[in-house]
Amino acid sequence: MIGIVSYLVFFLTMGFVLSIAVLGLNLQWGYTGLFNGGVAAFFGAGAYGVILFGGSNKAGQLIGFGLPYPFAVAGAVLLAGLLAWIVGLITTHLRHDYLAIATFGVAIAVENFARNAEPITGGAKGLRGFERPFETVINDPFWFNLAYLIFVFVVLIIVYNILENIGQSPFGRLLRAIREDEVAAQSLGKSPARVRLQAFIFGSMIMGLSGALYATFYAFISPQDIVPILTFQIWSMLIVGGSGNNKGAVFGTLIVWAGWVGSGWVLTQFAPVEMQLYIGTIQFIMIGLIIVLTLLIRPKGLLPEKLIISRSVARVKPE
Amino acid sequence: MKALIFGLTAISLVALAPGLSYSADCTTKVGAVLPTSVDWGRPIAATARMAVDLYNKAGGVKGCKVELILRDTQVDPKVGVDAAKALVDLDKVPVLIGAVSSGVSMPILTSVSVPSNVMQISCCSSSTVFTGLAKDGKTKGLWFRTFTTSRNHAAVAAKIIKAKGYNNLVIFYKNDDWGQDIGKLVKADLEALGVTVKASIAINDGQPSYRAEVVEALKSNPEAAYVALYPKEGIATMREWISLGGTQNLVVANSLRSEEFRDSVGIKYLGKMVGHDSAAPRTAAAASFTALYKEAFKKEPSGPGLPNIFDAVMIALLAMEASPTLSGDVIARSVSKVTDPNGTPIFPDEAGIKQASALLSQGKTIRYQGGTGAVTFDQYGDVSAPGLSWNFSEKGIVELDYITSEDINEFINSLKK
Repeated sequence: MIGIVSYLVFFLTMGFVLSIAVLGLNLQWGYTGLFNGGVAAFFGAGAYGVILFGGSNKAGQLIGFGLPYPFAVAGAVLLAGLLAWIVGLITTHLRHDYLAIATFGVAIAVENFARNAEPITGGAKGLRGFERPFETVINDPFWFNLAYLIFVFVVLIIVYNILENIGQSPFGRLLRAIREDEVAAQSLGKSPARVRLQAFIFGSMIMGLSGALYATFYAFISPQDIVPILTFQIWSMLIVGGSGNNKGAVFGTLIVWAGWVGSGWVLTQFAPVEMQLYIGTIQFIMIGLIIVLTLLIRPKGLLPEKLIISRSVARVKPE
Repeated sequence: MKALIFGLTAISLVALAPGLSYSADCTTKVGAVLPTSVDWGRPIAATARMAVDLYNKAGGVKGCKVELILRDTQVDPKVGVDAAKALVDLDKVPVLIGAVSSGVSMPILTSVSVPSNVMQISCCSSSTVFTGLAKDGKTKGLWFRTFTTSRNHAAVAAKIIKAKGYNNLVIFYKNDDWGQDIGKLVKADLEALGVTVKASIAINDGQPSYRAEVVEALKSNPEAAYVALYPKEGIATMREWISLGGTQNLVVANSLRSEEFRDSVGIKYLGKMVGHDSAAPRTAAAASFTALYKEAFKKEPSGPGLPNIFDAVMIALLAMEASPTLSGDVIARSVSKVTDPNGTPIFPDEAGIKQASALLSQGKTIRYQGGTGAVTFDQYGDVSAPGLSWNFSEKGIVELDYITSEDINEFINSLKK
């Protein structure tokens, strides 16, 4: 019994960490219509950032500031934001598929930087993290994992609430206006380019936060953690959950992540021994099926976007 | 009729039961997290299964059948970690076999194995970060790998290159933790020996062409080339290298010990090629890992990591046999009983495993001699083994020279001066 609880704690921790990145993407795609194909880059900036700022200076390593944990996380988020600012200045005037390709390229560049800039990132062998905060105080793996789950959950709630508030604020309406019709928004005296950049940077910082929590939990980061499949995973979570809906983003993350890893567990339990070698491959087919079926049955996601004009006006039914 | 079938089945079951060497309701679970969905990962997983089957044929661990629960990592750290956590928490395995990539093995070690007190043994993770972690006491002695350290391999490579008399060369290395490591080590060793390394070229996975890299290497007009790549990139790179007139004086790493590489590049271009690898010990009585593999799969073991995973599984199972209780830390401490240099030499074929079980249950120690040789771990879970050089023939792989562990260590020490 304790085994099941212990596993669930672990599962939910990773689920919530990924949810935060999905919420960041929801701000960019769901609210603003920015197609960020480089989620892994900003996630990676946060993940490497927290270890570089929080870790100690090891042999052969140029950077390692050993900052206290909250500052390390703040540094990681700012690093992701800085990357997004630079990328955004160059690319946010690009639309849709062009932006997607450009940001995808950025993600590949970041991954290759991590793989090769050995003095900074440890290269392909990866970078060891620091002692996880409070681990020695709690000194019991189960209770530490539970405490970390609660911490991640609190962060998720905070991010969720901020995004919900943005969504219902005038700024949120502006984001959606730009998503729906940029020229119309411009004609009302708004500056789409600036607003898109803001949404891009803020969303990327949230992804960076997710990456920071991820690297803290594993106390290790390597280029393997930020390969393009991560971007695909985050996207499928948002699309399955329902883009434009924060609840959907979190819900979709848990569903897709459960399907992603759960399919492997189910298969090992029930598949005959001689099939076990092929389970990994079948698992990929099942993952694809889950995503495709959800999209066929619920094209707008499990929890579709709710159109809200304003908090003070009654909700509009989506057509 | 039904009753008759039922009766016959019951009788035959009773009649067969004493023939089984373990009771049917007693199983011992062992977890494996390997990239089964990846082309080079599946043979590794199949070899792990072969080792378990062999062990079961010899009677299982403490008379119990071993059940290998195999999970796919997808080479994705978070998927691998989740699979490992599920194996430890839901299936209660005391030992984890895996993973292959260091980037997956490492988070499994830090966030699953060490906190949950589970022994972890990998076939192929080569990153030096593990040694650092062990030196800081963070692995609690739970971590082992049967992948001979890159230090060892690099020394063998440098020795072979020096013996060939090449004065200068270029290095192609796979741009991952293993490749960066071995590329750098070989370069340092060669420079210490006075061989000029004209260029070190990183080869990234999955590029459609490596012409730019090859042209870069050709510019320096080297006498020879050292190639530390996996078959897929190795084939693509070497085809372009040879077609553009690069030298056929090749020295290649053990990762290219694959017939796919020989056939795809063409053996007529590989006549001057020589490879390095870790070696099995030269004991006459021991049936080789190759023979066992051929018997199980009806083909040559070719591809990276196959003898290593065989040894990883066997050492884990023998350590379980030697361990008084089946908890991870006790099993990990029992590994030394299996790899004792003063113990009785054992090769893990069916008879060998039976003999090993008998010796271990009497409290004696054995010296395991498997696919990668007489494996001995240092206090950080790293392994060193004798080396050999090899090349291809029409039929398969021919082993040329044997280099003892002592020679390798002496060579490494001589470089330090």
